[in-house]
Amino acid sequence: MTDTPAARAAQATPPNVARKIKGLSDRAIAWIFVGPTIFLLLAINIFPLIWTIRLSFTNFKANRINREPEWVGLRNYERILTDSDIWLNMQATAHFLFWTIFFQVLIGFTLAYLINKKFKGNDLWTTIIVLPMMLSPAVVGNFWKFLYQPQIGLFNYIVAFFTGKDPSSFEMLGSVDLAPWSIVIVDTWMWTPFVMLICLAGLRSIPDYIYEAAEVDRASKLRQFFTITIPMVLPFLMLAVLFRGIENFKMFDLVVQLTGGGPGSTTELTSINLKREAFEKWRTGYASAYAIILFVTVFGLASIYVKALNKVKER
Amino acid sequence: MSNFLTGLMRLKRGPWEMLATILIGLGVFMLMQPFAIWLYTYSFITTLVGTVMFIIVSHFKD
Amino acid sequence: MSSFSVTEPSNRSKWFAGTLVILYALITMIPLAWIMLTGFKSPSDAISYPPKVVFEPTLEGYVNLFTTRTRQTQEYLDANPPETWYEEIVREYDMVIAGPSKFGERFLNSVIIGFGSTFLSIFLGTLAAYAFSRFKIPLADDLLFFILSTRMMPPIAVAIPIFLMYRQLGLSDTHLGMILLYTAVNISLAVWLLKGFIDEIPREYEEAALIDGYTRFQAFYKVVLPQAATGIASTAIFCLIFAWNEYAFAVLLTSGTAQTAPPFIPTIIGVGGLDWPAVAAGATIFLLPVMIFTILLRKHLLRGITFGAVRK
Repeated sequence: MTDTPAARAAQATPPNVARKIKGLSDRAIAWIFVGPTIFLLLAINIFPLIWTIRLSFTNFKANRINREPEWVGLRNYERILTDSDIWLNMQATAHFLFWTIFFQVLIGFTLAYLINKKFKGNDLWTTIIVLPMMLSPAVVGNFWKFLYQPQIGLFNYIVAFFTGKDPSSFEMLGSVDLAPWSIVIVDTWMWTPFVMLICLAGLRSIPDYIYEAAEVDRASKLRQFFTITIPMVLPFLMLAVLFRGIENFKMFDLVVQLTGGGPGSTTELTSINLKREAFEKWRTGYASAYAIILFVTVFGLASIYVKALNKVKER
Repeated sequence: MSNFLTGLMRLKRGPWEMLATILIGLGVFMLMQPFAIWLYTYSFITTLVGTVMFIIVSHFKD
Repeated sequence: MSSFSVTEPSNRSKWFAGTLVILYALITMIPLAWIMLTGFKSPSDAISYPPKVVFEPTLEGYVNLFTTRTRQTQEYLDANPPETWYEEIVREYDMVIAGPSKFGERFLNSVIIGFGSTFLSIFLGTLAAYAFSRFKIPLADDLLFFILSTRMMPPIAVAIPIFLMYRQLGLSDTHLGMILLYTAVNISLAVWLLKGFIDEIPREYEEAALIDGYTRFQAFYKVVLPQAATGIASTAIFCLIFAWNEYAFAVLLTSGTAQTAPPFIPTIIGVGGLDWPAVAAGATIFLLPVMIFTILLRKHLLRGITFGAVRK
């Protein structure tokens, strides 16, 4: 057997060590260590998931336990996937997803690029910029509601100050046109630092010698940016985009506190819609099918995300 | 392109994963696009096929 | 050497970059600063137009946050002069303090559930991460993916069966129920992050200990644990912040005894609508610990938010 570090690492425990271990066998310990975690996840994640799949084929209503649920086959799925109102909720989600990702990538990358110039005190300012994303989205949504108040809100005041409009002439949360943008603004405020941090990691992973070589070849700064910087940061950017995509696809807390899905259903993202079906209308079977549709979508995106993770890890 | 096809025929992981990724992406796009409701109707099955495929092909050899 | 390097930005571009970044940081801080200021305003200052930056600070918001108040007749007020400074603040509105509000309780629930679930997920997560890092586990990659994917589930989608299950088991609106639930969500992050940290500890240390006659358990807690301490601490803070901030499960599964602060803060009602200074005071108290932890965590932040994929 070759004794390279790689070969050693590939193996669980070298036989010369394994033979001398006292106490329980490694295999028993492995199961004792992993067992509780797997058990907990099975009980609180997988069992409920299987239950949801089962419920999704019935017309069960959780507020009427005594009524025996009927088996309805694929009818719930059929109804959801042909419902043009839910399709509109999906489009509202798409609007939210697209623009939050667009602005976060644009601002996040620019910030990372600037911070990477390593000016004095960049660590301190990075930490300050990062603060919003660690806060509770529900509480953030709640206090942005205060900032968005027409007349008394700071946001309206500042916009009015710079545009000369009357601060009570527009309602960010009350108007059908502005509400979808109000949630985009808050999410961008909150999560741009996330994209920025990941882009920064990407920029810092580019070794100096590549730029030095380009300099020797007399490549212009602009050319260096497009042939070195962008391609090298791209895998990191993909990671950030996928993660924000997954998170915002299932967005609930921030938006429910800000707009509650209104006005009308202009900001009723899928999770908020699902919550209404499940916990206000109590159409449990129907909502379960809805949940499975969202879940499969997130799961699919998550598998791509893990692939992207591993790609970055190899760097 | 021909590399991609021979990869598929030989059950290589890379091209199959690529195919599954494209299917998932397509499904997600169909789910949320504003153009045609029939695309929305068939989005779930597309994503489902892509996801199941992804789980299976990630066990293929490189 | 480095000052002559072609990759070192010029002083002018550094100055330019610094100015823009600082400008962004200042703008991004406005909402947070505003909410902290609002906590020290009187209700009329909080809703004045134009918004007041200079005002007379008062602790009214904080007093209103922690107490419930009732209006009393003038005779009663005259007969009982205020004894404490907070009683005095309330008297300005012809009110007396009737008792503590629910905020203290809700905050305590957040603390209990946060720390309880963090402890449990770190305990189980460290064991699992060690096993994944050091032993050959069949289907390890699939298990790890399974563990990670549970984190990605949309909370509302899982909430339906959990709601039904908890109702059956009598776990709805209990501390234990919430601790178990948050542990289940957090454990995925814990396992992934801790596995990364443990992978970085050379195996040779334990192997030497094993040859010296330690059992696996002894090698684990005498050699590996101390080495992984920093990693465990930063993972713990991540788990704590998640449980602290969580809203969706909390609002669906708790309503009274085990309700945490996030669903409670938006419901603080004053006389004639939302009591914004009290809401702001609640938000400030609730968000401040997270800000402090974030600053402590800054070196490991990236690692935590990318599930350990990006180290530095």
